[in-house]
Amino acid sequence: MFLRVRAEKKLGDFRLNADFEMDRGYCVLLGPTGAGKSVFLEIIAGIIRPDRGEVRLNGADITSLPPEKRGIGFVPQDYALFPHLNVYKNIGYGLRRVEKWERERKVKETAEKLGIAHLLDRKPARLSGGERRRVALARALVIQPKLLLLDEPLSAVDLKTKGVLMEMLKFVQRDFGVPVLHVTHDLMEAVLLADEVAVMLNGKIIEKGRLKDLFRSKNEDVSDFLSARNLFLRVSEILD
Amino acid sequence: MRPIFSVVLAALSSVILLFILLPIATTVTLQFFNFDEFLKAASDPAVWTVILTTYYAALISTLIAVVFGTPLAYLLARYSFPGKGLVEGIVDLPVVIPHTVAGIALLVVFGSNGMIGSLSPVRFVDALPGIVVAMLFVSVPIYVNQAKEGFASIDVRLEHVARTLGSSPSRVFITISLPLSIRHILAGAIVSWARGISEFGAVVVIAYYPMIAPTLIYERYLSQGLSAAMPVAAILILLSLAVFVALRVLVGRENVSESQG
Repeated sequence: MFLRVRAEKKLGDFRLNADFEMDRGYCVLLGPTGAGKSVFLEIIAGIIRPDRGEVRLNGADITSLPPEKRGIGFVPQDYALFPHLNVYKNIGYGLRRVEKWERERKVKETAEKLGIAHLLDRKPARLSGGERRRVALARALVIQPKLLLLDEPLSAVDLKTKGVLMEMLKFVQRDFGVPVLHVTHDLMEAVLLADEVAVMLNGKIIEKGRLKDLFRSKNEDVSDFLSARNLFLRVSEILD
Repeated sequence: MRPIFSVVLAALSSVILLFILLPIATTVTLQFFNFDEFLKAASDPAVWTVILTTYYAALISTLIAVVFGTPLAYLLARYSFPGKGLVEGIVDLPVVIPHTVAGIALLVVFGSNGMIGSLSPVRFVDALPGIVVAMLFVSVPIYVNQAKEGFASIDVRLEHVARTLGSSPSRVFITISLPLSIRHILAGAIVSWARGISEFGAVVVIAYYPMIAPTLIYERYLSQGLSAAMPVAAILILLSLAVFVALRVLVGRENVSESQG
């Protein structure tokens, strides 16, 4: 297994108790809002320490490593671009140990691949939502991470943009050869992107496998979430 | 807005504005009718020595507040730990203590028989370091709280992402947290400097000499009356206003360039 996580974490009333593994590839972690998906990603990134358990990446135990030593790219839900730095400096932020000419080459190359090479002088405040996503993605990819974590990378975009962005994500994963763990509450993203799917409910990974196996799941909670519950979620979102 | 409501709002607001402006404006304008006295004070080297001492002491006190207060502000904005409420209470303590009492308390510690005063090679009583500690005591809460507000206003996720991009906590602090709160830090430093300049009660207890401007004005008022104190007071008002406006413009400009990108 490429990534293996067994982690327990108590945060107020919420309790995460996750047992998870994934191969190199595109894994989508599905779950409703409040299931603990973001906390789970932050444990993998090293931002939150689990109370118990371990995180193994490529066979190595990284549980006690700080985020800066893990080499894991992380794109949080609102992208968290550095507002005081322009796009060039945002993307190049993780390359300070790299020589200047090399940094310049890497930043430009990554920006070109993601179609944001014309934005390098801009500050984040003057970017559109889609452009911000690309910059955040480029910033995480340019350090050549061992694993890329995406927290709801396609939330709050219209259907057409979503399609474009999904193709980009698929391209990114192949072109950069980086395994991706993508967290979402949207079944469609799993259907279109995932090699493997995991389902998280109430802080627990309750099912894992290929999507079509998941639909045949005998676990009531899973089928409930994938069908009826998902429908309710969609309807409630539309009504919101 | 209903017209009556706006009239009431405007009327009540102008009472406060007038209350602030009237004494200040009157003190300054009266100098035009007594210009000789004003010129005499303005050309008196003793007055300028005192004013420079005041500004210089407040500047040192502000630098100390920035160096030691910024880490404390960051700590309070970012981490929760047992006893945090107590630490915040300690920071605010100088605000609620009467300033002459603060002066007495400082004298107890920094006086020649005090815990620090007896061991320190530096003399505090009736010396510049005494003025500095008195100014620092009353102005440091203002600085720490402003800087804390600045750090707290930064989204922690920016710092988290910076960590995942290979930065140690100290580098994150220098490259992300500090630049993003620089306006709060500058504004806090300006207000804390201004607060230092205006301090009288605490300073006068620990260091009557070398005189600072508020002490000089008080002394002239007591020994020679209002007409002798007023010209110096007017000079201090004009100088403080000029410096204050200049610094506000400076900080304001950075603010604008930041938002324009």
